[in-house]
Amino acid sequence: MLENYLPVLMQMLMAAGFAGVTLLASVLAGKSAKRNKMKDSAYECGMLPLGEAQPRFSVKFYIVAMLFVLFDIEVVFMYPWAVIFKDYVAVFGAAIFWWMLSFVGILLVAFLYAWRKKALDWSS
Amino acid sequence: MSPLSLELGLGLLGLVLLLVESFASVPRKLIAYAAIGGLLAALAVIVSGAAGSVPDSLKEFYVVDPLALFYKGFAIIATLATIILSLEYAPIIHQFVATHPERTKEAGLGEFYSLPLFVCVGMMVMASAVDLITIFVALELVTVSFYVLVAFMRRSAASLEAGVKYLILGALSTGLLVYGMSWLYGMTGELSLSGVAYKLAHWEGNSAPILFAVGLMLAGLAFKVGAVPFHIWIPDVYQGAPTPVTAFLSVGSKAAGFVVLTRIVGTFLTPGSVVAGPVIQILLILGGATILLGNLAAIAQTNFKRLLGYSSIAHAGYLLVALACIHTGGLKMTSGEVAAFYLATYLPMTFVCFLILSAMRAKGYGEDIASLKGLGRANPTLGLALAIALASLAGLPLTAGFMGKFFVIFATVLEGYYTYLAIAVIGAATGFFYYFKVILAVYSKPDGPSEGPTPDLGLLSKVSLAVFVAAILVVGVYPDLIRFALVK
Amino acid sequence: MSLLEIIILLPLLAALVTWLGSPARITALAASLLNLVLVGWAFLNYQSLHGADGAMAFRHARTVLTSPHIQFAVGADGLSLTMALLTVLVTLAALWSLVDKERIYYTSTLLIASGALGAFLCTDIFFLYAFHELALIPTFLMIALFGHGDKKDAAWRITIYLGVGSLILLAGLLGVVWYCSPEKGKLTFDLLALKPLAADAPYAKYAAANFFVLLVGFGTLVSLFPFHSWAAPAYAAAPTPIAMMHAGVLKKFGLYGLIRIALPLLPTGANTPWVQHALLYMLLGNILVMGFVTLHQRRLDGLLANSSVMHMGYIFLGLASGNALGQNGAVLLMFAHGISVALLFMLCGRLRNQLGTLEFDKLGGLAANAPFLSLIFGVGAFASIGLPGLANFAGEVLIFLSTFKNFQASEGFTFLQITTILSLWGVVISAVYMLRAYRKIFFGQPSAGHFMSDPSLLQRVPMFLLAAVLLVVGLYPAILLNVVQVSLAATGLK
Repeated sequence: MLENYLPVLMQMLMAAGFAGVTLLASVLAGKSAKRNKMKDSAYECGMLPLGEAQPRFSVKFYIVAMLFVLFDIEVVFMYPWAVIFKDYVAVFGAAIFWWMLSFVGILLVAFLYAWRKKALDWSS
Repeated sequence: MSPLSLELGLGLLGLVLLLVESFASVPRKLIAYAAIGGLLAALAVIVSGAAGSVPDSLKEFYVVDPLALFYKGFAIIATLATIILSLEYAPIIHQFVATHPERTKEAGLGEFYSLPLFVCVGMMVMASAVDLITIFVALELVTVSFYVLVAFMRRSAASLEAGVKYLILGALSTGLLVYGMSWLYGMTGELSLSGVAYKLAHWEGNSAPILFAVGLMLAGLAFKVGAVPFHIWIPDVYQGAPTPVTAFLSVGSKAAGFVVLTRIVGTFLTPGSVVAGPVIQILLILGGATILLGNLAAIAQTNFKRLLGYSSIAHAGYLLVALACIHTGGLKMTSGEVAAFYLATYLPMTFVCFLILSAMRAKGYGEDIASLKGLGRANPTLGLALAIALASLAGLPLTAGFMGKFFVIFATVLEGYYTYLAIAVIGAATGFFYYFKVILAVYSKPDGPSEGPTPDLGLLSKVSLAVFVAAILVVGVYPDLIRFALVK
Repeated sequence: MSLLEIIILLPLLAALVTWLGSPARITALAASLLNLVLVGWAFLNYQSLHGADGAMAFRHARTVLTSPHIQFAVGADGLSLTMALLTVLVTLAALWSLVDKERIYYTSTLLIASGALGAFLCTDIFFLYAFHELALIPTFLMIALFGHGDKKDAAWRITIYLGVGSLILLAGLLGVVWYCSPEKGKLTFDLLALKPLAADAPYAKYAAANFFVLLVGFGTLVSLFPFHSWAAPAYAAAPTPIAMMHAGVLKKFGLYGLIRIALPLLPTGANTPWVQHALLYMLLGNILVMGFVTLHQRRLDGLLANSSVMHMGYIFLGLASGNALGQNGAVLLMFAHGISVALLFMLCGRLRNQLGTLEFDKLGGLAANAPFLSLIFGVGAFASIGLPGLANFAGEVLIFLSTFKNFQASEGFTFLQITTILSLWGVVISAVYMLRAYRKIFFGQPSAGHFMSDPSLLQRVPMFLLAAVLLVVGLYPAILLNVVQVSLAATGLK
């Protein structure tokens, strides 16, 4: 019975193993020497650290980052479409163009919405 | 007319409304009315039976059977009720969204009226989806829209907290679900549910990986419907979210989870399936635990919204047990139809509770059970409506809620699951206790010496309140009203 | 719309109209008077039409659900008409005795009446059950909102007990439906259709267990011994009309259900020795244990409440006798007890209103100023003891006789007969506490500061009505027995 679960176990081991190996490698490969305050400080090539270690960023950064991800993802759909476009345009005709355009249209609505809501306006 | 065009139409309406919201400065109420109009039109198409079939090329992904049409109608009604509820709740939303509430009048309301449309589209697609990818995409459309709605009151810490909790646990459950789906696909090589069912029925060899996939998927869906032990997020999220969204979550999101569960469980329990036994066991244990914990934990609640949260957990338990009872021939209903019937009875009573809660909140009352005191005298109509809805939630005979429980309990008798029959009975008895606590509050004298403002509802809300209360009473004595819609 | 449907819906309609704002007292009294006339007409008509064969009459059905087959089906035989008569009589008295009360008293009493009538007149298990539940809601609410003393605790107790009890009952009823169905595709809740099916039910081995579940479910509703502890506090706390309606009428639903459903459909279950023995032990608990508890009550409301629990034991004894005589006696006693306990609770409410206390130590000598009241209270109390000439006596005698029906001296006493002999002590106990209470309240040294006057002529009407019924049925029990007997025989009870 239990040996039936071997594939499951292997999958889990692989997932855990990958994470473990990565963590282990970073421990082994990095930070090998002894640490002291002098070594941790910026040396000749940077500013002395000032302020909080984790400063609060303006929420605008997140908005921009999110918008970037959203509009970036559309390429995932457009790229394969572009690849097969030539073959399929013979079958479906111009329709295949309009299909993709409807998708882009939805994105356009999102873009217009973001624009009107001043999500792209850095100064306000 | 293909039902798919309904979904496209409603989606388009949502997009247009978003554009109107951002470009034109129309009164926000008009946006809500436009959404209501669109939903009513879609409902008319579904009820009239004009929604036909889909082209053969889509049948792998998208079916139009009575169950799908039923859930589509369900989604539309739930969305309609939510938007009407939102109109009632608008002042509170505005207060917690606008930067300067005293200067603006309707900031942030446009999106609040149009986002439910996208949830509706997601639920409607989900009702028809018979393909793992389609199911997943539709489910995500629902969930992502809900992330926004739950955290909508951005100046209310409770709403934000609810949003974050919902986002994190929602993402986790989605991860589990997708991981399970990928295992299932990996083992069977099929994405369509019919293909998976065929493979499961003719499976030879090692079934453990499939069980693993099944377990992951059921865990993911259990999160969505709020089954014990994946229910922890429910009370906090329900309490923190804006009241219309809470209502929508407890009805819409739950129904969405259950339509997917119905389809997927139906696939797993296909005759000859290798995983049928364990799946039934899992459903029963989840259901039993959910009934017990949901009901018992509800006893101690003092906040009405939180109590409704626990009650929604408890109801999910009955639904899970219903799904596990597959030999329901005596009822002339499949297990999925019993669950759908239960959900249909659950909709009106929940919305009545939330409508009245909104009315109270809009007049400055709190959300505690104690703040309901005196409602029976201040506004007898609302008091009676609430009492009827609560009696129905408790499952008293001659109300819709009893018919739902009746079918589930009957199904367990037919199946011979006496343990779960006992659990269902214990749960229902516990329900009596805490629902009656609320009814008692409604008819008690208010604590304070002076009487507060009388809670009241707008015209649209009054109409929907009347419709829902009538539905509770009529279905209570004539359940075939819903069954005819369900069983063709 | 058939006659019985009108009878059921009339109080419901009156409750709705009252809630909407019509003059409460007039509407309620008119509706209940009209209902009394209708039920009385049905009762007399039934006797002339079906007095001989005892069949279900006035039948009418509307299909609600096709599968499982559920109908809103009404029908009445002697048994159900007797119970309906009890309901309308007590309802009228309860409504009449209300003085200067809020609207909600009238609506809730009417609601309870409608639920009780529905429960007694429906021939479909589903609606029979559902109507009883409908009647329970206002009961719970009224106790919690307008009760006396420790009302919250009493209300919760009755809610939980009866809630659990009726759910167990539901499970048992579904079990019966399942038990009687020849094939799983054809489930029906129609009592009349189930009866022929029950004879050759395929799951005979479950009969005893199923009967026991029903006994516990129905028994909880009737305060059968270990499931009784909700009753006394609830009746003591309940507002007067609610105590009258529940103790007098609604409680009888449990017994009615046993006679109507459990005994005819599961006769083998009822005759199983362990079930019988369990029932006998439980009813002994009712009579003896509750008898002693009643003896030690120091307040009138507590005494009446506990004695009402105690008297259920005799009715169960009638059912346990297993023959027609005992069941006739049980039905007669159900009717008589309903009337007498309603009368006593009405008087008790009056005392509480005027005196503000019900403790025996603080009362005394009321008869001097209130002779009519003491007379009527005497009728109620003597009826409750079982004095010959009053209705309860006829029922109790039939029950006691029935258990000795098959007595043969050579075989000695069976357990049933030993139980009966022990139960006879209960009569002595109830005589002791009732007479003591009567003496303490109405005779002896008049207590200081408590003055009781006789009711006005108008307020004497309901008391007179109930007392007259007790007398008439007591002197001429055949008026009920004629129809009950044939109807019980028609349900197949031997």
